[in-house]
Amino acid sequence: MSEAGFDREWRLAELLDAAALARLGPALAGLLGADLALLDAAGELLWGVPPGEMRRVPLTLELEPIGFLASANAAPERLLAARDLLLGVLRAEVRFKMASALHLEAVAEDFASLKREHARLLESEARYRKLSEELEARVQHQVAQLEERQQMLYQAEKLASVGQLAAGMAHEINNPLGFIGSNLSTFKTYLERFAALQKTLPPNSPAWRELDLDFILEDAADLLADSARGIERIARIVSDLKSFSNVDRATEEFADLNESLQHVASVTRSQLPAGVELTLALTPLPRLVCLPGHLNQLFFNIVRNAVQAIQDAGRSGEVRVSSGVVAGGIEIRVVDNGQGMSAEQCEHAFEPFYTTRQVGAGAGLGLSTARNIVLAHSGRIELSSTPGLGTTVTVFFPLVP
Amino acid sequence: MAEREGNSLSFKLVYYGPAQSGKTTNLLRLHDLLAPELKGEMMSMETKDDRTLFFDLLPLGFRAPSGLLLKFRLFTVPGQIAHDGTRKAVLSRADGVVFVADSARAQETNNAESFQSLSENCHRVGLDFENLPLIVQFNKRDLPDAVPEGELRERWAAAPWPLVFASALRGEGVEACFAAMLSALYRRQAEAHELATVHGLDEAKFIAGALGQG
Repeated sequence: MSEAGFDREWRLAELLDAAALARLGPALAGLLGADLALLDAAGELLWGVPPGEMRRVPLTLELEPIGFLASANAAPERLLAARDLLLGVLRAEVRFKMASALHLEAVAEDFASLKREHARLLESEARYRKLSEELEARVQHQVAQLEERQQMLYQAEKLASVGQLAAGMAHEINNPLGFIGSNLSTFKTYLERFAALQKTLPPNSPAWRELDLDFILEDAADLLADSARGIERIARIVSDLKSFSNVDRATEEFADLNESLQHVASVTRSQLPAGVELTLALTPLPRLVCLPGHLNQLFFNIVRNAVQAIQDAGRSGEVRVSSGVVAGGIEIRVVDNGQGMSAEQCEHAFEPFYTTRQVGAGAGLGLSTARNIVLAHSGRIELSSTPGLGTTVTVFFPLVP
Repeated sequence: MAEREGNSLSFKLVYYGPAQSGKTTNLLRLHDLLAPELKGEMMSMETKDDRTLFFDLLPLGFRAPSGLLLKFRLFTVPGQIAHDGTRKAVLSRADGVVFVADSARAQETNNAESFQSLSENCHRVGLDFENLPLIVQFNKRDLPDAVPEGELRERWAAAPWPLVFASALRGEGVEACFAAMLSALYRRQAEAHELATVHGLDEAKFIAGALGQG
């Protein structure tokens, strides 16, 4: 119990304030027809004549008196009757006051409950709002990711298609080239027959001179030679293109990496943008057990990146490819003086799909694929770059002793 | 929390439970049955259909050999769902609780919900539920569809609280229940208030004094 709770033991002065005493006192005194005093539990006067020689009767609501009714000259039975009357009033009053106090406590408790619930709801709302924002951001991020992935798949499919196309074209073109080469060879034999005709004719035959057959035979030989060289060039282009498709050379073999580098240079030179120069500084290399098609792709990716780096820098530049033997293996370097890479770019450069270019402008697979190919050959690939100055990619392949 | 004032010590005991489980009837029967040295009139606040609106209060008391007056103020709470705020307010500052459950099979859910509410409300008003003197009374044992006593004992076997069976309407079990409450209260409060060492009250005398025996 406490001084403030509804369940405290109420004091007489709390139950009967001055106004109540002013009404009840005179009424009771009138009924008694005598003097009267109302005392609290401690005997202090609350109303009426000062106590002297008086008869007291206790006012008990629960177990102990909360006060006394006292009179000096009232008849005893009347005093008891007055007490009973007053107790009825006090019981009604204490019920009222306890109920009121309890109601206030209950309302306060309900209010506290509502405040707790309100705080909980505010917290819940904040949590849901945050979750909603996170979901929105996550959805946007994933949509962007999906779009990027779709673009990458599209690029990958295009590359695969190019590979298939290269293989198909190589096959389709090689057949007619064979026919043409064979036919030209036969035609050369026929020219020789024509040339032999001159011996059967009289010297300075008018018909021979009139037809200018000397010139014709000479020129025909030149035409045949030119055509043969053209055919050879076509065959080499087809062969170079085929070497990057990885379709027909999936088995390991001894290869001269300088030949791979020359293939790459030949293909790359055919599409070099203006202002970009490609130079080779190759030294003789021992043959390496490798997958030549894969290494072709590796070198092509690195050289292409270097060319693009110079283009991105928006100025003229050079891509320099060098090869050499170092302790334990072969080292190949591709150096460009393009725009270079930041430290962060270098850090992510070998990650799949990493690219600083817009989606669609590059697949972001070049260096990742390159690294995978190098690792598959037990090699190492390293990248060093300075923004604004250029990039060096160094590839090392161990030679098996 | 027991309140020491002058030469008296007051304990607040609350009868808690689902609606119409017999809380008020418990107090009415105690009023009829007990004859302690001091017994006050029952104070009730009921609605027109005799449902407890705010609380009931039955004061009981006796004087220890040392002269200390011990008071027991027995309160009931309203059981209806709508009065949870009032229940919390009545429950606050309680020194002990009698949980009055209804034995009828159909009331098992109400019993469970009310007990859950008791636990939660104790925490709300700052009572230490784990150490609160608590007696569980299954009232209305006279009903034909009352859950068998054995089943109830088995169900509450793991609970730490004493189980009492009563039919308050017939006056059966309510005094034994109050005695169990007094026993639990004594074990919780005696040392703090030096009941045995200073006031000459052992547990038996404490219970006998409150019940008005001997």
